[in-house]
Amino acid sequence: MKGFLDSLADLKSQGHTLVGCFPLYPPLELLHSFGLTPVVLWGLRQDITRLTRSDRHLQPYACGVARCLSEFVLSQGGEFLDAIFMYNACDTLRNLPEILQSGLEQDGSSLPLFRLHIPAVPINPPSASNYLEDQIWELTKELKKFTGRSFSGPAFLNSTVLYNQQRMLIGELEHLAATGRLGFADCADIVLSAGRMPVSDHIALMEHTIRDAANRTPGEPAARIMLSGILPPPAALLDVMEQAGLMVVANDLAAMRRSYGYLPAASSDPGAYYEDLYSNHHPCTTILPSADRRLEHIMKTARENTVQGFIFVGEKFCEYEYFEIPIIAQMLAAEGVRTLELEIGIDDTLNLDAHRTRIEAFAEMLRQETGRSRRDKDAV
Amino acid sequence: MPSDHIQGGFRKNTSGKRLSTMIMNDYLDLHRRASEGAFVVWIAIIVPAELFSGFENVVYGVPESHAALCAGKGAGPVLCEKAEGFGYSTDLCSYARIDIGTAFDGGKDSPTFGLPRPDLIISNNNNCSLLVKWFDVYHRAWGVPHLVLDIPFCYENQKDRDFRYIMDQFGTLISTIEEMSGQRFDRDKARESVRLSSEAMKEWKRFLGFAAHRPSGITAFDSFVQMAPILTSRGTQRLVDHYRLLADETEEQVKNGIFPVPDEKYRLLWDNIAPWHQLRKMSGRLAGLGANITSASYTYCIGALEGEYDPYEFDGNDPLAWLARLQNFSVCPHGLNLRRKAMKEVIERNAIDGVVFASNRSCKVYSLMQMDQMRYIREELGIPCVMIDVDHADVRKYSEEAAFTRLEALLEMIDA
Repeated sequence: MKGFLDSLADLKSQGHTLVGCFPLYPPLELLHSFGLTPVVLWGLRQDITRLTRSDRHLQPYACGVARCLSEFVLSQGGEFLDAIFMYNACDTLRNLPEILQSGLEQDGSSLPLFRLHIPAVPINPPSASNYLEDQIWELTKELKKFTGRSFSGPAFLNSTVLYNQQRMLIGELEHLAATGRLGFADCADIVLSAGRMPVSDHIALMEHTIRDAANRTPGEPAARIMLSGILPPPAALLDVMEQAGLMVVANDLAAMRRSYGYLPAASSDPGAYYEDLYSNHHPCTTILPSADRRLEHIMKTARENTVQGFIFVGEKFCEYEYFEIPIIAQMLAAEGVRTLELEIGIDDTLNLDAHRTRIEAFAEMLRQETGRSRRDKDAV
Repeated sequence: MPSDHIQGGFRKNTSGKRLSTMIMNDYLDLHRRASEGAFVVWIAIIVPAELFSGFENVVYGVPESHAALCAGKGAGPVLCEKAEGFGYSTDLCSYARIDIGTAFDGGKDSPTFGLPRPDLIISNNNNCSLLVKWFDVYHRAWGVPHLVLDIPFCYENQKDRDFRYIMDQFGTLISTIEEMSGQRFDRDKARESVRLSSEAMKEWKRFLGFAAHRPSGITAFDSFVQMAPILTSRGTQRLVDHYRLLADETEEQVKNGIFPVPDEKYRLLWDNIAPWHQLRKMSGRLAGLGANITSASYTYCIGALEGEYDPYEFDGNDPLAWLARLQNFSVCPHGLNLRRKAMKEVIERNAIDGVVFASNRSCKVYSLMQMDQMRYIREELGIPCVMIDVDHADVRKYSEEAAFTRLEALLEMIDA
């Protein structure tokens, strides 16, 4: 599959107007309804191998997502993007817009910027829902000015239908991976490619993959695991997991399940649609009001999928994630689920052997526990 | 005039001694009233504490302030290690680690024995949304309700829409406390508290204003230490009295030719949270070089609107409106342009020769604009700058020699 930069080059040559969206959960449908092609600026590590531009603006203790995003926008944003969109996903990302604009200005270029503040409180009180609705309509006006198109309810409805179709197909794809019909590394690659291709193309890609994989024989895992974190680990580590007999039967990854886990009702009203989407979004560390739901959700998912091991793929310096891990590990341990914490920094794609050893040891431990548990059952 | 003022800061004169007593009494009073049944709230620093004066018996503790105090008293590493032992990453904010280490070990090793267990936790997300994650830790561990104030970040001055949104949330905050504590909110009492806060801020700015004198009448280290009661005595007459005494005493010292760095050659500005574990060492060593960090963005923003320096005065009308408008009185919720505006003003007012950008691993929100801010100050204003690595409360992440190599290079740049 093509990488991020090649994909964007293709899109540009096909005449798409590209809006580079900051992660994690931008209002893609609204951008799409204006005829724009949103691309989500994460999962860039394979393509962004040097951080020379970003390092002139950001300290090394910003997370890899922010540093790669900045490098891309500063070094190639002008070439590929027509605009940028950001919302208050996290403290680091909220600080970036002016830094990037300042960096672009130093090179004599600029990009239009759209911003949104998504309420970080439950959206049910009228003050929060009115605030969000105001913001959405404000953004709509800016998009109208940018594109020269008026907002269209039917076009928005069509976009919401498409994105819901995408969410459902991603669910099917993840199910195929969970049953061993599709490797999780392939599944992750396809899901992440959503951020760099038009939604209709992504739907076609998934339909094709699902048709191919559906008839394969289910696999038998040595141990069933759940992956959590912002991004899936590098493909090489997923291979290590697979070789060690670990099957990813569920995930709590921001770029996968958390992005696509909730299906809002299709609507022609963006205010109502985004109130629904952001109120009921799949829980995430960055969606502050979802914090309590998130713990329950992880436990429920672990139980329903008879998960034996939980692997936390920590994005180095993402404090949102790290604040929640101690309690999650504690709650899972109480139910007999083991936790392995990995930490992936910006340079870790080049140095994976330490992780390999820990994953193999974790898999061995789970195998031994499974064997012991079977022997105990037989004895009874 | 009798003064115990040592070179490099730390006024152990009347206001300095009063400060120690005041802070000690504030914490003792907090513990006492909590034990006698007061409704206890834990808040983030920007949460409008003046509102609690509108209730008969509500007291508040500030975990960030408590953590800073622990760090200043040298308890940072031991408390951080406790939190790390509970599974919290060393990359998390050191305030959070100190406070979690304290809270989950019954207040041991804290100079204040921690804070009394809260009935309600209130955070906000403009200063730092990780506060919400940090306070969630307690919410989950103890089952205490956690109310979040969602305050939009300011890329430019606060918008009317944001103001109204904040006002609505203050209404929720008040009704939540009324419901949970069984106490009624009295707006007149809150108004009086706001009036006192506004008075105190005027005195605070009068004190900071002596940084414009040459040599400076104060050091930024004085302001770091003296800001503590803003977090423990907000909206009280004793805070007004204290800052008035502080400003009067400083004025008197300046009149009498008493200065913290009498042979001041370099007038510097500090950008970031105070290095709590280094106050005495850093100020003393800098004074030995003829350098005085006279001003700090961390303390000059207090009491002002975003991007401004002068205090935002209360007009005597709606106390909630004043508090809502002033919900961005620290640097972290400000965009780059607002930060530049305020810093430029202070550089000009106080005739700053150089700026020290303290790149703080424990505070990304403060730090992650500094490289561009530094470029602006250096290139547009022509002021030499340096960036040093600091962690505001975890001394294990700080190297004094590495920092001073850079600070000395800054002084050489100023001389050049």
